[in-house]
Amino acid sequence: MSEEQTHSIDISAMQRSQQALNIEDETVCLSVKDLHLYYGEKEALKGVDMIIPEKKVTAFIGPSGCGKSTLLRCFNRMNDLVDSCRITGEINLHDNNIYQKGTDVAELRRRVGMVFQKPNPFPKSIYENVAYGLRIQGINKKRVIDETVEWALRSAALWDEVKDRLHESALGMSGGQQQRLVIARTVAVKPEVLLLDEPASALDPISTLKIEELIHELKNDFTIAIVTHNMQQAARVSDYTAFMYMGDLIEFGDTNTLFTNPAQKQTEDYITGRYG
Amino acid sequence: MKMEKKSVSEWVKSGDPWVWLNAGAVSISVIMVIGLLLLIAVRGLGHFWPADVVQSTYALPGEKAYTITAERVESVEVTSAQLREAGINLPDEGNKLLQRTLLKMGNRDVYGADFGWVIDQYISDSQTPEMLFTAERHEWGNLYGYIRSVKENGQVVSETQDITPTASALATWEEFEERIERTTEIHDEIKDIEKTDIGKINHALERIRLEQRRYELNGKLTAAVEADLAAERAIYDEQYKGLQQQLADLYQQINRDTFTVQVMDGTVHEMQVSKMVHAFRPNAMGVVEKMGFYFVKVWDFLTGDPREANTEGGVFPAIFGTVMMVLLMTVLVTPFGVVAAVYLREYAKQGFVTRIIRIAVNNLAGVPSIVYGVFGLGFFIYFLGSGIDQAFFPEALPSPTFGTGGLMWASITLALLTVPVVIVATEEGLSRIPRNVREGSLALGATKAETLWRVVLPMASPAIMTGVILAVARAAGEVAPLMLVGVVKLAPTLPLDGNYPFIHLDQKFMHLGFHIYDVGFQSPNVEAARPLVYATALLLVMVIALLNFSAVTIRNHLREKYKSLEM
Repeated sequence: MSEEQTHSIDISAMQRSQQALNIEDETVCLSVKDLHLYYGEKEALKGVDMIIPEKKVTAFIGPSGCGKSTLLRCFNRMNDLVDSCRITGEINLHDNNIYQKGTDVAELRRRVGMVFQKPNPFPKSIYENVAYGLRIQGINKKRVIDETVEWALRSAALWDEVKDRLHESALGMSGGQQQRLVIARTVAVKPEVLLLDEPASALDPISTLKIEELIHELKNDFTIAIVTHNMQQAARVSDYTAFMYMGDLIEFGDTNTLFTNPAQKQTEDYITGRYG
Repeated sequence: MKMEKKSVSEWVKSGDPWVWLNAGAVSISVIMVIGLLLLIAVRGLGHFWPADVVQSTYALPGEKAYTITAERVESVEVTSAQLREAGINLPDEGNKLLQRTLLKMGNRDVYGADFGWVIDQYISDSQTPEMLFTAERHEWGNLYGYIRSVKENGQVVSETQDITPTASALATWEEFEERIERTTEIHDEIKDIEKTDIGKINHALERIRLEQRRYELNGKLTAAVEADLAAERAIYDEQYKGLQQQLADLYQQINRDTFTVQVMDGTVHEMQVSKMVHAFRPNAMGVVEKMGFYFVKVWDFLTGDPREANTEGGVFPAIFGTVMMVLLMTVLVTPFGVVAAVYLREYAKQGFVTRIIRIAVNNLAGVPSIVYGVFGLGFFIYFLGSGIDQAFFPEALPSPTFGTGGLMWASITLALLTVPVVIVATEEGLSRIPRNVREGSLALGATKAETLWRVVLPMASPAIMTGVILAVARAAGEVAPLMLVGVVKLAPTLPLDGNYPFIHLDQKFMHLGFHIYDVGFQSPNVEAARPLVYATALLLVMVIALLNFSAVTIRNHLREKYKSLEM
């Protein structure tokens, strides 16, 4: 691939969000302080400090294995599932350290929802997929669930496509639809933060576009953190971008600045395609 | 051609010998299985065909000729030397092969034995007379002969001197058939009263006796209580007397008719019509009629109770016992195995201990089944069972309730025998659930238990069903341990009836596998029992196939529902 092509970043998309952004002006949703993470002996995150601003989209970019997904999974303590994983430092969700002892992890995950790389609908009907989170919370009133399911499916721009087959299996949907269903399912429990771990990487371009539009819509209601391999995507959808490399946060700033005028040499090398 | 030029080593290298070897092994297995099924199917199903009864003259050289009426069973070739050694007086013509035939002559009450061998070449004048009839009896096996007269209360109703289908012979035959029909109805009525009504009263009386004993043991047996119980008992006694009277009437009615029959040696015997189950004239029946009768007999076999030390009649109690035991075992083994597998795979910290446990579980599957029987007898019956008896059924002692073999202990023993299979299959299934589906559930705020219960286990259910299928297949065919923990040759009642508590888990039961063994090897009448062994074996295979088929259907349905796994 030639150099010309790799750094042809879609400037026009960036111009959509031309309003000047300043991280100092934002409300802090999540703040990360001196976060170290070890898989056994290997240090995967080497002291990360940053904030995730509220009701904005923050993108994480960086080469494979840089720790961006690992960091994302720290926000809802998904790394707890890995036996050898050890964490120091703190992450505050509205001033509460989520790694404090006695944190209700299930409650945390309800507040910080996550969408994974591969669509992972449950082998249930479309309706039951979206209702799952509510049922877990013990909500069983049909009217409440009906309303929430419709609202969530509308939020995920899926309602019109599936409203006539809500009780059919979710496994019969296309990949893009499945991923939007997973987003609807996550949105249905009304979390404060949405973590998207490469949500479009397994999808075709049209589905990807739909997901990106959706992210644009959702940021009115949710704080969004997205990990992506695709720099154009990061540029298109995010307000802020963090560039990570080898477990370090190299640079963090508003997307426009980071892509057009990066402060660090490493960042510039990466976004212009010199490595990664 | 080109092939011929190839050397042997090239042929070996090409892999062809292995393909041939594998294909050969597969075909041999398939042929053996099909052969086995065909053998038991032909032998088992053939038993019910209403065979022709042949009348012939049999005269061994130098002995008096006599008439034989019999069904042919089978022929074998023997040498004349062998026969001479057996004491048969043959003219000395060297050693040659002779055809020998086994005949079913019936009439055990008259001749003492109902089977006999004859040498084919000395049989002459074979014919199949139309009036010769076969009757299945409640006792003494089949009867073959000519109807001579039918009597009611000792008075002759219809009579004939003919053994050919003359008008009088046919009229007598029809009279005979009608009266069998009548006695069959009365017989059913008697059985119904004895089993259902008197069974209920017996059950109630036993309950009262136990209640009294319980009061006695607690030291609370006051005169008032005793009077109460006696009053209650009196009600049932009264009912019983009523039924007794009814039965006496019925018995009188059923014994009203008799008939006389001429058997093959020409003697005439008088017998009670009520002792007959079916009577038919196979030589006068066409193929269609025979087919109809065939299905009647098969139906009787499937739904009837056994008679004559299990060598005649049906096997319904054994079918019922087998199916019930397997279902009960399934109900016990499934939750137990699944829970154990979930703990091992999902909760236990993986390491040395879990590895040891897995090895132990796998080895359990290889323990010979009789060992489980011994364990079931020693631990479940003698230890747990007698403990339960002392704690909950002291009033019934010294006769044991759960302290002896029974349906429950048999099911539990087989559940123990098959639980490793379910554990292994479930673990396999759990390990195949994709991680991202679990994470999806956890990320929505579900706890691990909720994730397991709502997502993981449903998705693993096809694998669980695979385990259950294997467990059913193993348990249904198992006989050895059952002989120690509750199977009997003949159970008077089914373990499921209309008396509280409806399922009698403490009762002994019959089982098809044990029935085969019992009929085949413990029966006094080997020749009569042999076809039943095949028929029962075929039935056992079909019952197991049916149980498996239903389990496979359920699994396929679940697979269809949760087929996302291969994403």
